[in-house]
Amino acid sequence: MNTVDEILDFAIEREQQAADFYSSLADRAQSAWMKEMLLSFSQEEMRHKGKLKSVKLGDRLLKADQHVQDLKVSDYLVDIEPTADISLQDALIVAMKREKAAYRLYSDMARTIDDPELKQMFLGLAQEEAKHKLYFEVQYDDQIMRDN
Amino acid sequence: MSLKDLISPFYVWQRAFEKPYTQKRPIEDRPGAPRYRGFHMNSEDCIGCGTCESICQNRAIDMVPVEGLEQRPGDSGLRPRFDYGRCCWCALCVDICTTRSLHLSNHYAWVTEDPDAFHFTAGTDPMPWNENSLGYRRDDDYHLLVHDRIEMEMLGPDESVRGFDEVMKGYTEEQAVLEADRCVECGICVATCPAHMSVPDYIRSVRKRDYETGLRLLYETNPFSSTCGRICTHRCETVCVMGYQGDPIAIRFLKRAIVDRVPAERYREILGDDVSDNGRTVGVIGAGPGGMSAAYYLRRLGYGVTVYEAQARAGGMLRYGVPSYRLPDDQLDKDIDYIRSLGVEVRFNTLVGRDVTFQSLLDTHDAVFLAVGLNQPSALRINGEEHPRVLSGLKVLDDVANGLDPGIGRKVAVIGGGNVAMDAARVSRRMGAEVTVLYRRRIEDMPADPDEIHESQAEGCTLVAQAIPVEIKPAASEAQVTIVWGEAEMVADDKGGRPRPVLQEDRMHEETYDCVIAAIGQGGQIDFIPSDYREQIEFKWNKFVPGDYQQTGLAKLFVGGDIANSRADAISAIEDGHHAARGIHRFLGGSADA
Ligand SMILES: Cc1cc2nc3c(=O)[nH]c(=O)nc-3n(C[C@H](O)[C@H](O)[C@H](O)COP(=O)(O)OP(=O)(O)OC[C@H]3O[C@@H](n4cnc5c(N)ncnc54)[C@H](O)[C@@H]3O)c2cc1C
Ligand code: SF4
Repeated sequence: MNTVDEILDFAIEREQQAADFYSSLADRAQSAWMKEMLLSFSQEEMRHKGKLKSVKLGDRLLKADQHVQDLKVSDYLVDIEPTADISLQDALIVAMKREKAAYRLYSDMARTIDDPELKQMFLGLAQEEAKHKLYFEVQYDDQIMRDN
Repeated sequence: MSLKDLISPFYVWQRAFEKPYTQKRPIEDRPGAPRYRGFHMNSEDCIGCGTCESICQNRAIDMVPVEGLEQRPGDSGLRPRFDYGRCCWCALCVDICTTRSLHLSNHYAWVTEDPDAFHFTAGTDPMPWNENSLGYRRDDDYHLLVHDRIEMEMLGPDESVRGFDEVMKGYTEEQAVLEADRCVECGICVATCPAHMSVPDYIRSVRKRDYETGLRLLYETNPFSSTCGRICTHRCETVCVMGYQGDPIAIRFLKRAIVDRVPAERYREILGDDVSDNGRTVGVIGAGPGGMSAAYYLRRLGYGVTVYEAQARAGGMLRYGVPSYRLPDDQLDKDIDYIRSLGVEVRFNTLVGRDVTFQSLLDTHDAVFLAVGLNQPSALRINGEEHPRVLSGLKVLDDVANGLDPGIGRKVAVIGGGNVAMDAARVSRRMGAEVTVLYRRRIEDMPADPDEIHESQAEGCTLVAQAIPVEIKPAASEAQVTIVWGEAEMVADDKGGRPRPVLQEDRMHEETYDCVIAAIGQGGQIDFIPSDYREQIEFKWNKFVPGDYQQTGLAKLFVGGDIANSRADAISAIEDGHHAARGIHRFLGGSADA
């Protein structure tokens, strides 16, 4: 990945893959409300994809200067193998962990690259993923950890 | 007539050049004395309770709506309007004001060309004295109202941990009347009560020692009054106006004061047992407070009601969750037995999805009300959780309710800060264990009732706040388990939610216990609803989102209770059941205002 456009294409493709991941899980889900939940995760990823597309078209800037809170919720939760009877709790864990992996990927890339423009782009993407992770962490905190 | 008499009237002229005693413009030049009782002022602290209106002997006060002010919990949205054709400036309204928002300014004259202007709404209408700092204010030590709550006898912590006897002993009749006497009957609490119980009216019946009327009033909106008189989350008390300067009225315990004085055998005579049959039937899934409340109001409307209940006894989480030291079984039975006595049939040990299908209920009944609650404990999902010494809080409470030994050992850690965690902790203390409660947030964030938190501490439970469990490890002995937890820092939530804990990896702790009881939250189980039906129903996260009157997109299905509301307490489930009963009646062609 040598150009900003290539990086964005990569990131857009990853969002699409994430959306596909959730919708295929939704197809398999046994419970209707999990189906709906997973479809909403998939739509969330499509929204991310749409945002990156508008960055690519130059309609939007990707900033990397914001502090995004890391609640570290996913850090100490076990890895979950998604299955057809996945629960809401486990689906949220999967989602948090996926966003965290994406955040790590982009931050690592930013660290290894010298070109300032590309570095900035990776940092911007990392920040986006951190925001997505925060979204799922907050949901986990509110919906699952109600009494904790 | 003498000459003197003739000219004396002209002597007055000499006065014309003296300084006059009267003043030309008294309004501007003569301020009232500092504590003069002039026109009313009202601050933003006013919540429109109307106590001033009630006490005014001259009927000079009307509570009126004010533009831009909405009714909200704890505020009627009304404000006092004063009629100066009637006011005699006695200041009783100031002396009684529950929020101390009302004062009298020392302005006493008001000249205007508007003939109707002797009416104004204090604090809202732009009057020149609104910022006045002088005038009459009630002295700090002068009270017309009794601010201290009448204490209820309760078991001391040393005694309460020795067994499962009810901790709160209930008011004596004299105590109840004294407590009821403190209520100013403002009714602010009614809007906040999820069931909108007619609180001031039933409190009045306590005052009059008229328990029959009291019971009738309670049952208009709540057929679980013995239960709620003990364990209700008493949201009403959080807005009670008496709480502004003292203790809120013990509304929950006054409800109990009524039911404690009416023996179960008299319920049918007082409340009436004349239930007609309208030939239609409703199936109810779950005999918790939500299901049984719906059953009660449906039966009263003439429906044949069959409740399908998975367990061997009715009451739901009130039976299998709430321990008997807070809610004795016979008190829950008092509520449930009366409902059943009206002809509500409960099919016990009948799990919908296993013993009967959801479809068969739809086919058999004209409508179905579903209130299956939340009985699936959320897992911790941290490493090592499958250790056999990690127990679920719900299971521990269920065992205790069924007279089984949950096998907790002598040293217990409870994880969580809600009702289940507090009850699991207090039950463990009663079984002789040393108890530590680990909670991720601050104590003030705990969802459990503050009374319970306080009582658990008094009974010797140690609460450790801002403690995040991160791992479960085997201990040296198989009968024990080690928990690793880290300290948390709280960070503000940008979107205004409750502060969120963040693990501090450099401050970790490890401790070994005989068991760890996890009580971090619960989810529901509704897989028995076929998926093509579920597609017609709206859900958000793991709950139903019912429409008007608790109806779902599947027209015959109404839902309520913990599985369909965010408050997850008994009174909300009871209200959902009542609301759904009215909805079902409308749906089946009955009158809208049943
Ligand atoms: C430990 C604990 C303490 C609590 N303390 C308080 C308190 O102090 N104050 C308060 O107001 N609230 C308290 N609550 C909450 C309160 O108990 C619940 O809000 C209330 O019971 C919810 O009522 P419900 O009817 O929705 O569900 P539940 O009470 O959960 O009842 C649901 C019923 O449905 C049955 N059921 C489930 N699935 C099926 C099926 N498929 N077929 C047939 N039957 C089924 C269940 O067996 C159960 O009997 C507490 C809860 C717990 C767990
Ligand atoms: S209980 Fe409190 S809020 Fe309710 S009517 Fe009485 S004084 Fe007013």
